[in-house]
Amino acid sequence: MVRTRTTSRTRTAAVQVTALAAASALALSACGGGSTASAEAAPVATDRDIQLSLVWWGDDDRAGRYEEAVALFEEKYPNIDVQTQFQAWDDYWTARSTEAAGQTLPDVMQMDLAYIHQYASNNQLLDLSDQLGVNLDTDGYDDGLLASGAVNDGQYGIPTSTNTLGMIVHQDILDELGVDAPEEGLTWDEYDAWVREVSEAGADAEPRVYGGTDYTGTLWLFIQWLLQQGKAAFDDDGTPAFTEEDLVAWVERTQPLRDDGVFYPVSRTKQVEPLTGLQVNEAATEMTWDNMTAGYSANAGTENVDLLPVPTGAEGSSQFWKPSMLLSASSTTQEPDAAAALIDFLVNDPEVGEIFGTSKGVPAVAEQRDAMEVEEGSIDDKIVGYEDHVAERVTADTPLPGEGYGVVEVEFKRLGEELAYGNITAEEFAEQWFASAEANLGGA
Amino acid sequence: MRGATATSSPARGGRPRRNRADTKAGYAFLTPWLLGFGLLTAGPMLMSLYLAFTDYNLFRAPTFVGLDNFTALFSDPRFLKSAQVTAVYVVVGVPVKLAAALAVAVLLNARHRGQGTYRSMFYAPSLIGASVSVAIVWRAMFIDDGVADRIQQLLGFPAGGWVGDPDMTMPMMILLAVWQFGAPMVIFLAGLKQIPAELHEAAAVDGAGPLRRFVSVTIPMLSPVLFFNLLLETIGAFQVFSSAYIISGGTGGPADSTLFYTFYLYLKGFTEFRMGYASAMAWVLVIVVGVITAVLFRTSRAWVHYTGDVR
Repeated sequence: MVRTRTTSRTRTAAVQVTALAAASALALSACGGGSTASAEAAPVATDRDIQLSLVWWGDDDRAGRYEEAVALFEEKYPNIDVQTQFQAWDDYWTARSTEAAGQTLPDVMQMDLAYIHQYASNNQLLDLSDQLGVNLDTDGYDDGLLASGAVNDGQYGIPTSTNTLGMIVHQDILDELGVDAPEEGLTWDEYDAWVREVSEAGADAEPRVYGGTDYTGTLWLFIQWLLQQGKAAFDDDGTPAFTEEDLVAWVERTQPLRDDGVFYPVSRTKQVEPLTGLQVNEAATEMTWDNMTAGYSANAGTENVDLLPVPTGAEGSSQFWKPSMLLSASSTTQEPDAAAALIDFLVNDPEVGEIFGTSKGVPAVAEQRDAMEVEEGSIDDKIVGYEDHVAERVTADTPLPGEGYGVVEVEFKRLGEELAYGNITAEEFAEQWFASAEANLGGA
Repeated sequence: MRGATATSSPARGGRPRRNRADTKAGYAFLTPWLLGFGLLTAGPMLMSLYLAFTDYNLFRAPTFVGLDNFTALFSDPRFLKSAQVTAVYVVVGVPVKLAAALAVAVLLNARHRGQGTYRSMFYAPSLIGASVSVAIVWRAMFIDDGVADRIQQLLGFPAGGWVGDPDMTMPMMILLAVWQFGAPMVIFLAGLKQIPAELHEAAAVDGAGPLRRFVSVTIPMLSPVLFFNLLLETIGAFQVFSSAYIISGGTGGPADSTLFYTFYLYLKGFTEFRMGYASAMAWVLVIVVGVITAVLFRTSRAWVHYTGDVR
């Protein structure tokens, strides 16, 4: 009897301790948290210390710029301390997916169009709609651009800057070979012919130079090409709106160039990774996002590069703006107000605009664009000038990739590589990619 | 195994009291390891066994799919490719590495001045071989105009780095593995030292030459060590990952030629978010390695000789 009583008393005591601990934990979190993700947005508190974590993908150059911007933010909000971290693109997503599984995503993170659906529709991101007009001001935004950060009626990401596809031209190489740059507005076939001409002219150069790199394995360029034919890229549910035949046609149209060794060889590409042919001064043109120009020029060691629009199709250029990156907050953040304030500062503050220049793309908000000190003839100037110049060619809406896009984009690139090594046919390319699309797109 | 013997022995009489106290102390000392094993190894392994039967993308709760992951494996061309790549690496790489390790051990076993220095020097690559920096250097050696390319041009072979050539990446990976022969080499060396000199002397008196003595004395006497090394290296080779990751730039390329099993597992899990599929792959690997180990143990009865073994 006695024994039982002792046990039950001990147990009661244990329960009480646990309850007390739980209660104090609640109380502590209430003190520390102030508000939870579900609470209503209120102006960010200034009477207590707040810690925020911020992560991005990028290189040392970007890290330096972020540190500068964060220092300004901490100056404006002395009670907020921002912990930063960054990784290269691939590692960044590995780290984030692991954190997402453990519900430990950082408060504020750089987000990409390729992944925002994945994170938003799995409730990993904070809907910033409540914060609009409270801690986050989006008045300076173009509606269409802002909409690229919306998923299922929630605002899960705020675009920081825009870019559009373009063709980077290495003028030093062309001058040396005595070949004129491709004409603006040429068709894809004309561009291919031009690449062939340059590769022939560069065959005897030391080292050998090529007109361009094989662009077949770049999913965004395929999408661009589709839009130019008046076709759509994706249906609303994120599944492909095009057919296997469309994809076969895209792959087959560059086959003669691969057969004749006109493109920059894939064996070289694999060896210079993560750089590319143009960045090691062995390819004269490359198509990619316009904000990449700064990095390309730095790696090639020349400012003598130009930006041209992508080749055209039946429907003209049909170029589109894409947010080069977005900022999102985690749904598990304890400090939604402060997180929103940090995002607001990074996208709106003129000084931040000056710090980043065009390195993340052209700033989305006019105050930041105007604050950039753009030197005439500099790379920044070329990128801003290019976006002004192609504005009239931008006639298409941003194709919004759905959940799983990141995975099928990687697969597209891998198949492009297999194709370049001659391991698969155009039909196999299309078949294998569609198999991956079926398994990964549309929330499958 | 030892724990089981210890707990059952008191029942057989003898010194129960003393033994029980020893057992307790033993477990007390084992606690840190047991905790680590339970929390960091056994727990996650059980979890992955469960996940292998689910569809799990890291974001949503796992849904049970039965054997779907396992059946899907065998119709996945990249899975088959990764199995093939790994098989070639194990079947070719392990014997070549062991042969190199044994050859160097025999050389270092001879009596020479400064033999200790040589031993350290030959062992050094293995200390750093698994590191990221060596994989980076290795990559640099085998690109266009790298050291390997220069040598093959001197010898009159066609020019071209190995890194971008899907046919040459496997030899490159195997060379990297072989170069790290230090660990088995040291074990071989210890084994060689254990062979009684009388056996060699007796064989020499009977007129056996060096080669004959190596085949008929050294190899049989060394067979337990050889078996041990073979097991360890085979299991290790199945798990190759980091060097392939660095050399292929995280892609398993070019053209999937370095898509090792564990690497494909990683890609499936962490870039495609197919944790269920990746877990199934992990368990298939565990089973395959287990079966191969069992087969090696079976065959070992025929060729491994233990001193004093009267079977």
